[in-house]
Amino acid sequence: MEKKLRELKNRFFSELKTVRDDDFLAELKIKYLGRKGELASILRGVKDLAVEEKPRVGQLANEIKKELLEVFGRTEAIIKKSAIRPRNFDSSLPGQRREIGHLHPSTIVQEEIEEAFAKLGFSIFDGPQLESDYYNFTALNIPEDHPARDTQDTFWVEGKNLLRTHTSNLQVRMLEKYGAPFRGIFPGRVFRYESTDASHEHTFYQTEGLMVDRNINIGNLIAVMQSLLSAVFHKKVNVRLRPGFFPFVEPGFEMDIECFICEGDGCSVCKQSGWVELMPCGLVHPGVLKAGGLDPEEYSGFAFGLGLTRLVMMKYRINDIRLLQSGDLRFLKQF
Amino acid sequence: MYLSLNWVKNWLKLPKDVDNKQIALDLTMATVEVEEVIDQAEALKDIVVGKVKEIVKHPQADRLQVCQVDTGESVEKIVCGGSNLSKGMLVAVAQVGAKVRWHGQGNWVTLSKAKIRGVESQGMIAAVEEIGLGDLFPSRSETEILDLSGFKVKPGQPLSQALELDDTIIDIDNKSINHRPDLWGQYGLARELAAIYHLKLKEYPVVDLTTKNQIKLKVSVQDKANCFRYLGWAIKNIKIEDSPWWLKKQLQAVGLRPINNIVDVTNYVMYELGQPLHAFDARQIKDAHIQIKQAKKGESFITLDGKRRKLPEGALMISDSQKYVALAGIMGGQNSEIGTDTTEIILESANFRAASVRRTSTALGLRSESSARFEKSIDPLLAETAIKKAAQLILSLCSESYIASKLVDVNNNPFKEITLEVPESLINQRFGAVIHTTDIKGILQRLQFGVEHRSKTFQIKVPSFRATKDISIPEDIVEEVARIYGYNNIPYQLPQVVLQEPIFDVAYQGAKDIKKWLAWAQAYTEVYTYAFTDIVWVEKLGFDLKQHLKVKNAVSPEQSYLNLSLLPNLLSKAEDNLRWFDEFRIFELERVFDKRSRGAYHTDQSKKKFLPVQEKSLAGLEVSSYNSEQVFLSVKGLIESLMDYWNIKWQSEKIKLPYANHAFQLKHQDIILGNFGLIKDRLLDDAKAKIGFWQFDFALLVKYINFSKRYQSLPKFPSIRRDMAVVVDETVGWSDLEKEIINISSLIRQVEPFDVFTGQEIGANKKSLAFHLEFRSDDKTLMAEDVDQLMKDVLKILEKKFQAVLR
Repeated sequence: MEKKLRELKNRFFSELKTVRDDDFLAELKIKYLGRKGELASILRGVKDLAVEEKPRVGQLANEIKKELLEVFGRTEAIIKKSAIRPRNFDSSLPGQRREIGHLHPSTIVQEEIEEAFAKLGFSIFDGPQLESDYYNFTALNIPEDHPARDTQDTFWVEGKNLLRTHTSNLQVRMLEKYGAPFRGIFPGRVFRYESTDASHEHTFYQTEGLMVDRNINIGNLIAVMQSLLSAVFHKKVNVRLRPGFFPFVEPGFEMDIECFICEGDGCSVCKQSGWVELMPCGLVHPGVLKAGGLDPEEYSGFAFGLGLTRLVMMKYRINDIRLLQSGDLRFLKQF
Repeated sequence: MYLSLNWVKNWLKLPKDVDNKQIALDLTMATVEVEEVIDQAEALKDIVVGKVKEIVKHPQADRLQVCQVDTGESVEKIVCGGSNLSKGMLVAVAQVGAKVRWHGQGNWVTLSKAKIRGVESQGMIAAVEEIGLGDLFPSRSETEILDLSGFKVKPGQPLSQALELDDTIIDIDNKSINHRPDLWGQYGLARELAAIYHLKLKEYPVVDLTTKNQIKLKVSVQDKANCFRYLGWAIKNIKIEDSPWWLKKQLQAVGLRPINNIVDVTNYVMYELGQPLHAFDARQIKDAHIQIKQAKKGESFITLDGKRRKLPEGALMISDSQKYVALAGIMGGQNSEIGTDTTEIILESANFRAASVRRTSTALGLRSESSARFEKSIDPLLAETAIKKAAQLILSLCSESYIASKLVDVNNNPFKEITLEVPESLINQRFGAVIHTTDIKGILQRLQFGVEHRSKTFQIKVPSFRATKDISIPEDIVEEVARIYGYNNIPYQLPQVVLQEPIFDVAYQGAKDIKKWLAWAQAYTEVYTYAFTDIVWVEKLGFDLKQHLKVKNAVSPEQSYLNLSLLPNLLSKAEDNLRWFDEFRIFELERVFDKRSRGAYHTDQSKKKFLPVQEKSLAGLEVSSYNSEQVFLSVKGLIESLMDYWNIKWQSEKIKLPYANHAFQLKHQDIILGNFGLIKDRLLDDAKAKIGFWQFDFALLVKYINFSKRYQSLPKFPSIRRDMAVVVDETVGWSDLEKEIINISSLIRQVEPFDVFTGQEIGANKKSLAFHLEFRSDDKTLMAEDVDQLMKDVLKILEKKFQAVLR
């Protein structure tokens, strides 16, 4: 043990000589003099020594400890003094950024919408994209040969199914499954058979909303949409309703939002009207309620189809719709 | 559809205090979507009548002349190249500021002062195409200028006033009148304006005409199910001519090209009432016998545009006693077209079933003004009004003409009169406000509904022109009242409803959660791709084409199958991005489609049939120029972190995939959750890139998220760390080594490799493995001696099991 102690002392002194800065000094202190340091562990061994050896070794150990502490203290003083002047470095260098990934802009906007609706007690649902003719059209009062099918050019898939042309395909599915009262939104991908250019895409995103309860009225629809859009845009927005025909609502509306580029004064974006078309909506057609298994005498509701892609493009001023499905990281890294 | 304000003034007086823009806005808010307001006079602004006083040759150009033109207030010098220019001619002078189109093509430009080959010109003498009047004045050659000498006009008069081209046209989006057959004519639009502005609307005038019975016109409707009504009249002593100016300019105002008096009359009445008409050359109608029947399989017919069309079986046809003469409701035939020598016509005013017209016109890809209207379900009563109006016009235009047959009318009108019982309370409930009974009554009466009100209920008689499909239930009446009342006059308030229990949807929550985790913690960027797979990728990846659903009408061959996996599109996006980036990570969460499995969604209410499975997949790629091992371990690390994050127990096993190296399948118990590995080199065009992939069946994955995390008490005693390095055979796997070490003692808490290397100093086919070991006991502070012993045990086992040598 005496040998160990002397060897420790030697090592300590030789390492101390190499000390140049604070950090290393602190390390040495822990290594040799700390509570779990080498000296402490040797000292703990003293209690296991033979009775006759204890006093001598103990004394030696204490002397060495005292010496180490003294020398350490002196070194520390010298180092601390020289360290008053901090090491210089160029603080104007860029910080070390952590690499992060990016969410798709549609995901970001969709979540804002979902959160706003969730606060009003709307649940969020998802459903099939490969859909039957029944749920996409027939159950929504759009039988075969209905001219409304013209405005929704459809991708047909083998097996008599289709790619849903709107998120409205979930209206009847949800009513069948959950009944009334119902409050929900269904965001997701929809498809229209058309060729793509800067302002047309065959693949885009919508958020359908459906609320069915007793005595739901036109005034409710306006109020709900106005509060929600204000939440999404972080400011009070004005909306207006005008007639619009969609077979699954009656009455049916187009909802316009006050153009927030010109704030209603008229500009090229809103074609000088001060308003931008935002979404079709209306009171749920009694036929749709019936298809969903509800009694239209007892329940009424409203539905809307918010164009998520359009909202994303408006929000970020994206002028080419194709960028959204491009997977181009130069674009996606901006969000 | 164009609404002409001059036209509707035939039946009502528009309010003076409302300007045209306001009319457009009010129509938009109450009835239809207005796209544009076109002011004819505005379009002809700064174009005046001029009289050519003097013509001299241009000094620098052979084909140009320099004219002195009297424009009323002054005489201007204008350079002109008109081939028909003559002294004393009345012409249209486009002055500085006028809008013109060079040679009738390209964009409209505003005219400014110009020097033409060195000679200054104050505007130009216009050709018809240059000022948008080509339809009104067919010219023989492009160099011909508009000659106004036949008109009662004088120099200086604005052209719009001189030619009475002072209409305002409101361009209505056709989509917004798809459900309103009555709005495909000016009179229907006038009715709406009358309702909006509380105007008196003149009843549509129908005159009784005298007829002779010279021609025994016969109409046989064989297909009563598709022809609801057919009226025919023969008119003799017709003289085919240009239409009079008032008719021409009225047609031109609504975008129709004048052709000749007879065709123009049929078009005029169609635009006035929304009822298409057709005129046959009577000479070509054999036996004066019109028949309405279905086409048989394999037949064809030449329409008046000269195209031979293969008729779909069952297409509704107009025929004489021998041959087809028109595609019912869509287009006439070339064989019976009105020609310049036509003297006798048979006028048709009919009503065909909307679905039948639509089906045939869709099948033929042939749309016309007529089919667009029939598709909307026209009121059969209109057919009679229209034929009478047309005949009256023809008689007035051709002074010698007379009606040579009785009015034949085969009427199978299937539409019943509709009376709706609408409780006042329904209207108030749907409004969310109380509306005065008199307001409701007033609105409906202005829209020409019959209204009676007793015991708080309206008895509403739907006018025939709204009863073909548009109005059929009480909610339709709510809409009528609300739109005229003004949607934006309805007070609004948030609904008052009973709170409901929230629904916790793990798939939704999980999706939201994992997207953020991948983006913000794992530096993965989210991409959206199409739902379609290119067959080239199916082959490249060795997928089974039979599992892919085929799109019947793909937009391009590269998009003809639905995604079975997200990998093809992700790889394709990776390929694109390699042009810009060497290293990146991308992921997508979307539905994929498998033809061969039945999914959870039923196809209709019977719930007996189901759509193919279309659950969501979560997949990602890690692209790097590092070596394969690093990419693989990075992907594996992601999987490990993800499963830790969601607290899912898992194991992996090596599998073979045609497109991958080092592929592993991920399992929870016996359930396969997904796979990961390295994409084979050279699968992409960029041979240098190393690509790691992973994909999960997301629906399954979220099912096994374990939310019941329990806290583990913190260690009471310190742990001791030691390092060890051994040399083993290159084939020895770390996981085997680790398993052996962990099994030696419960005091060994963790074994973690920190350095693996091979090299000459290690020896051929050998590798050095260095690792940390962590020792800890739950009962006491471990002593160095305890750990020394364990280290010896570890080495012993490694020597025995793996012939390891301590370094």
